[in-house]
Amino acid sequence: MKARSVASRAIWLGLAVLLAISLSRLGLLDAARLGRGLRNLGEFAGSLFPPDPASLPTLAGAMVETLEIAFVGTFLGSVLALPLALLASPVLFGRAVTGPVKLLLAIVRTVPSLFWAIVFVVAVGLGPAAGALAVALYSLGYLGKLLYETFDAVDPEVIEAIRGAGAGRMQLARYAILPEAANGIVAQVLFMFEYNVRASSIMGFVGAGGIGYYLLGYIQLLRYDLLLTALLVTLIVVIAIDRVSALIRRVYLFPATPPAPAD
Amino acid sequence: MTASPALVAERLSYAYRRGRPVLRDVSFDAANGEILAILGTSGSGKTTLLKLCRGLLPSQAGLITVLGQAVVSGRGALDPRIAYIPQQLGLVRSLSVMQNILIGALAMSPTLGSLVRLATPELTSRATDIAGSLGIAHKLGERAYALSGGERQRVAIARALLQRPQVLLADEFISQLDLFTTGEIMRLVRAVADQGVAVIMTTHEQTVVRDHADRAIVLRDGGKVVDVRTRTAAMADITAALRR
Repeated sequence: MKARSVASRAIWLGLAVLLAISLSRLGLLDAARLGRGLRNLGEFAGSLFPPDPASLPTLAGAMVETLEIAFVGTFLGSVLALPLALLASPVLFGRAVTGPVKLLLAIVRTVPSLFWAIVFVVAVGLGPAAGALAVALYSLGYLGKLLYETFDAVDPEVIEAIRGAGAGRMQLARYAILPEAANGIVAQVLFMFEYNVRASSIMGFVGAGGIGYYLLGYIQLLRYDLLLTALLVTLIVVIAIDRVSALIRRVYLFPATPPAPAD
Repeated sequence: MTASPALVAERLSYAYRRGRPVLRDVSFDAANGEILAILGTSGSGKTTLLKLCRGLLPSQAGLITVLGQAVVSGRGALDPRIAYIPQQLGLVRSLSVMQNILIGALAMSPTLGSLVRLATPELTSRATDIAGSLGIAHKLGERAYALSGGERQRVAIARALLQRPQVLLADEFISQLDLFTTGEIMRLVRAVADQGVAVIMTTHEQTVVRDHADRAIVLRDGGKVVDVRTRTAAMADITAALRR
């Protein structure tokens, strides 16, 4: 017990030292610099107000394009992720299949969506098509992992019961894994869409369409009042999507736990 | 009841971890039309035994045959002549009662066709008849998660019946029911056995064994210690074996 207490203190001390070194190396212990930063932040905040509504019509169009990028990207990513997640499920396949599929998903996921956007700008040219493809690929990697983890969490007794009925692998996926994981699939896809709306809003930084083109432009022109308008438009849309997602969850999801037996 | 055994298990042993066997050299058989109860305290190996019989666990030692054919395991489709009801029944909560019952017909349906549509008119008619005989015809459109305990039990039995099995394995599937519902469910199980199906069920309810089983075996520490016909003086042996 005593040795454990000493080890625990050593771990905390180690963490504290590591934090102090990191803060110092990052320049976050430099009081003069932090003071300047605060003053700059104050000036920046002042120049944000009042937001300029003149750009609203332009921003509304760009926001629609951002939503289209997120929607198409999420749809394509989901359609591709679903079969790959099934191939990555150890309930259905052995390691010879699940291993390579999981590796492929990890590789796709490791690359940031903005990098994929650059790749697709090179491939299909400037514009929202590149953004949608980038979002689709990133969603594939991310959603693929979320979905196969959801499949792994399906009640083993349901799997055993359906296998017990003599079901083959595809039947098992169709009648046990997918319906049992339906809640998880809907929740993960909605989460991915919400995430992709935010990710799509910076696709324009590299010429891949959406409101990001204007965000970057306003920053470069030092038009922070227009930047605030764009950020507010994004915020309103994100909040609206959160609400719609919550509504979809309420309508479609069945209770996570069954009611207590009545008899 | 015929004399030929539907299921024969010979010298089964199984260990989840090396050196810690949960089953040791267990042999038994079950005849068509017979209800065989497997008793034992928690951890005695009852569920493992049933999963081995169904092919849900790979055989490590010993042999299980159903109507003369060795039971296979693995990720592929398992022998459709054996039905299996797990302890928590394994109903698909988001599917309707009808869809859950129709799952019993997966093995007899063409794979690709069944992925699109399982409910052929013939299967739907049979599922409706079975549901009617089990008293759940009025629940066919409801989702499984909304059912009561007894109703869920009936759906699991209906699913198994649609499969037309030769052997029905049921793992403590009546453990959460009250006495009255247990009696009703066991009468249904008897009706299934009377159609020539060998029913093998694990339980820890001695009253169920006394009132409904034809034979009982008792497992203790992974080994079989009792194998008797019930409704004789055997209940005393069973009780003694469980208390020992």
